[in-house]
Amino acid sequence: MFTLPQEESRAPAPCPSPASTQDLDSNYGDGLERERSRKPDWKLPELCDSTTMLSPDSSYLSSRGRVIKWFWDSAEEGYRTYHMDEYDEDKNPSGIINLGTSENKLCFDLLSRRLSQSDMLQVEPSLLQYPDWRGHPFLREEVARFLSFYCKSPAPLKPENVVVLNGCASLFSALATVLCEVGEAFLIPAPYYGAITQHVYLYGNVRLVCVYLDSEVTGLDTRPFQLTVEKLETALQRANSEGVKVKGLILINPHNPLGDIYSPGELRDYLEFAKRHELHVMVDEVYMLSVFEKSAAYRSVLSLEGLPDPQRTHVMWATSKDFGMSGLRFGTLYTENRDVATAVASLCRYHGLSGLVQYQMAQLLRDRDWINQVYLPENHARLKAAHSYVAGELRALGIPFLSRGAGFFIWVDLRKFLPEATFKEETLLWRRFLDNKVLLSCGKTFECKEPGWFRLVFSDKAHRLCLGMRRVRQVLEGTSQVAEEPPSCQTEEPRSRHREM
Amino acid sequence: MSHRSDTVHLPCGQMRGQGLGNQGTHTQPVEVMLHVKGTLEKHMVQLVAMRQQQDLVPEEQRRHQATGEQEALLDSLMYQLVNLLQSGAAGGLGLQPSCPSLDVRGVVGGGQRAQSSRWPDQPVHQRNDPEATFVSQHLSNRGIDISALFQASFQDYKLYQGDKYDEDKNTLGFINLGISENKLCLDLMTERLSQSDMNVIEDVLLQYPDWSGQPFLREEVARFLTYYCKAPARLDPENVVVLNGCCSVFSTLAMVLCDPGEAFLTPTPFYGGFAFSSHLYSKVELILVHLDSESTAAHPRLFQLTVDKLEQALLEATLTGKKVRGLILINPQNPLGDVYSRDSLKEYLEFAKRYSLHVIIDEIYMLSVFDESITFHSILSMESLPDPNRTHVIWGTSKDFGISGFRFGVLYTQNKKVASAVSSFGYLHGVSGIAQYKLYRLLRDREWIDRVYLPTYRSRLQRAHRYITKKLKALGISFLNRGSGLYVWINLKVYLDPCTFEEERLLHRRFLDNKLILSRGKTYMCKEPGWFRVVFADKPLRLKQAMHRFYQVLETQKLELRVKQPESAQCE
Repeated sequence: MFTLPQEESRAPAPCPSPASTQDLDSNYGDGLERERSRKPDWKLPELCDSTTMLSPDSSYLSSRGRVIKWFWDSAEEGYRTYHMDEYDEDKNPSGIINLGTSENKLCFDLLSRRLSQSDMLQVEPSLLQYPDWRGHPFLREEVARFLSFYCKSPAPLKPENVVVLNGCASLFSALATVLCEVGEAFLIPAPYYGAITQHVYLYGNVRLVCVYLDSEVTGLDTRPFQLTVEKLETALQRANSEGVKVKGLILINPHNPLGDIYSPGELRDYLEFAKRHELHVMVDEVYMLSVFEKSAAYRSVLSLEGLPDPQRTHVMWATSKDFGMSGLRFGTLYTENRDVATAVASLCRYHGLSGLVQYQMAQLLRDRDWINQVYLPENHARLKAAHSYVAGELRALGIPFLSRGAGFFIWVDLRKFLPEATFKEETLLWRRFLDNKVLLSCGKTFECKEPGWFRLVFSDKAHRLCLGMRRVRQVLEGTSQVAEEPPSCQTEEPRSRHREM
Repeated sequence: MSHRSDTVHLPCGQMRGQGLGNQGTHTQPVEVMLHVKGTLEKHMVQLVAMRQQQDLVPEEQRRHQATGEQEALLDSLMYQLVNLLQSGAAGGLGLQPSCPSLDVRGVVGGGQRAQSSRWPDQPVHQRNDPEATFVSQHLSNRGIDISALFQASFQDYKLYQGDKYDEDKNTLGFINLGISENKLCLDLMTERLSQSDMNVIEDVLLQYPDWSGQPFLREEVARFLTYYCKAPARLDPENVVVLNGCCSVFSTLAMVLCDPGEAFLTPTPFYGGFAFSSHLYSKVELILVHLDSESTAAHPRLFQLTVDKLEQALLEATLTGKKVRGLILINPQNPLGDVYSRDSLKEYLEFAKRYSLHVIIDEIYMLSVFDESITFHSILSMESLPDPNRTHVIWGTSKDFGISGFRFGVLYTQNKKVASAVSSFGYLHGVSGIAQYKLYRLLRDREWIDRVYLPTYRSRLQRAHRYITKKLKALGISFLNRGSGLYVWINLKVYLDPCTFEEERLLHRRFLDNKLILSRGKTYMCKEPGWFRVVFADKPLRLKQAMHRFYQVLETQKLELRVKQPESAQCE
């Protein structure tokens, strides 16, 4: 499975690991004893402190309204700064470069050309009227065909099992609401895509119980941040002992932010674990077509013969990542569980997608020729080129990182640049990047328990990427505690390479 | 028995407490027992307290008002308990109801009252209908609840989706005069949306948006509302939040303005979709302000909303310990088609201000006023709002532009905190960038709107309205003639014998059997049976066919009444 050069994956291990790695990898009994005495950490990040942060004159809002507002105010501080000062080659060359948002900006040319073709223009009266809330039947049929093909399902997938809504965020929200009572929880391996916290909380009031992974490599067959059934068991037991009712497990595959891919064997182990405990499994496969290393044999959960617990396995996919259209708001659920599909569809009145866009999506997904012969090869080539440029830069800087050839990002180990292994220092470093006009995401936003990890998005145009990396380097050279040196600016070589793509 | 105000107890799944709000769900008999005990105690205290305040309102009325809710709560707790005990062996959540709910109510003795305060009655018959019973071991209780509520509320819609009338292909299909959808101008919209300016794909449309709406669209919405609402000053794009539909806007407002179990006041009859929305996610209750269907000397106008009624409903709700956070108004009104005068509006707003209530005002039919003698006053046209930080306006294109499939709704509020809190939901109620762009093009094409669209739309509405009302008059059916909206509110009481909601349901069923979908008063929480809403914003041919079916059903109904009449007296 491990296809990238060994030094990349092993790299983090030599780095001094901060304090808190011992609690999860130890054997059961002791670990549990120790956990019992600890504060529960399945909390909503910082939510408990939020009351103190609320302005006193928020009396217009309900108490949950104040918490909800807090999400808006605090969650995306960096993005707001970014939006006020976005980099633009001509108009604002000193603006902020965004290597923080996981968006694929490499293929807008292909997409806008395709979406402007005449078959996309169709406006039919039925598209303007109230739809079937599960999604227009023509689109659900197309989604079923599409997933059957690209997920390599052993048998054709059924349109009745498809529910279409406006993005995976809505899907997380709806699933949390219909699978859990207020205050119940899902397990999720951490680090994870942090926005899920908000998605399951806002309406659902559902919490996440983190299965903390760490960078330490413990055996020959393991890799950093590897998820194991043992860790799942431990986290589940701890949650149970704290009186938290866990209803499901969220898996992201390919993983965000690790870029990791689960092997079919691993997947099956996790699914079997879930089955033993009667947990629902939500598999977020939103990056499934963004595996740009051919050797990184990715397998969708829908490709498995005989799912351990099909009634509790729910697959999510969207066009946001794989088709670089996060602004399109199209997401889909595939589940064999009719009750779950119906319950989610009951909420679709609130998470509906414009009929015209549904039509365009059906046209897009149907165009297998364009996808296979134009879009995917080109997209993968561009992703790969951008990835190797950033990987090269990082190597030159002597920075360890993880990346397995999937997704839009590299999980970068900047621990050696923190004077102290604290999240405070991590935030300071993050702010220094922002001050130097490059936006990254720090590990804390992914609930990573080791301070010092950053996610760096590389799926951007060459010139922006190059400038972004230069700014990253400037900050690290200014602050690096360990290595002083780094190589001279290598922008020329990669830039010319990128021009070819 | 007074119905001035009562709490809506929304349909729930099989065994959850109805209208429990934040009381949560009980899966353990002991838990339920404890809750029963607590509620009984509160009940007794309430009774004592009321005896001490006899001078306020007549005793009988008050007793009912204040205790009705607790009785309903006791009912459902007892119901839960009995179910828990009976299904104990089944383990799990024990969701299968095993006894008819009325028996359980009998235990407490407040059965009839509790039932009369319940809206709509689908859930009740759901319980007795094995096919509709929704039990799943995989869903949470609220998940079951949501599914059951949806299925109960959208049965007609589902039928319609699967078997739509088509003048060529399916002449026996359903004609839907139940859903308020404007089908009069699909030709104009289709044409306008097919023009080349609509089909621009820019990078920014494909990227993550500003979650409160793309800035270009929010600016256009502000301009649009400034113009069409006749705002005294330019509206600020910063006060605009764009979401995928007005239901979403309402749902998020309910979330951020109320905690579970808190309530909004709302005059009825009232658009049922909001009741649905307030229950699904936010668990906010509705305190109904029932309007009178008969004219009095003081209020000659039927269904007139007065501040007195609002005051009284609020007082009664407060006496029962309900926390009321706001007032919901729909203007032009749905289903009455009423337009509030500027003075009335002001009075309602002043009332809300006196009690620090938020006002959510839904103006989604603001451009659908077709009677030229009527002037619509948007709340945004007022020189100064009594309490601007508590006034929140909802608008969307679904009705006025007949594009309900577009999923676009707007909040306009000067309250930055409310706007921010609602924007937190942008992720969950986002509108596709491509659709946002099209809406932007549409709203800014003032020339087309003013010269082509609105004149055509209004004259078609007028014509359709004229046709329908002529038919109704010919049939001797009384209705409200109000001049806005896509519907008429008609009175079919004379066709019910006895005049009950059950008979109303049967008549509705009869329309359905004849492939005609209408919506009935109960759906709008109307306090008396016999009212129906007929949507007329449809093509002449379909309207004609629909009225033919309508007539057939009423003829049959008349015949049956004649057979029945010797035995029982007709309702007035």
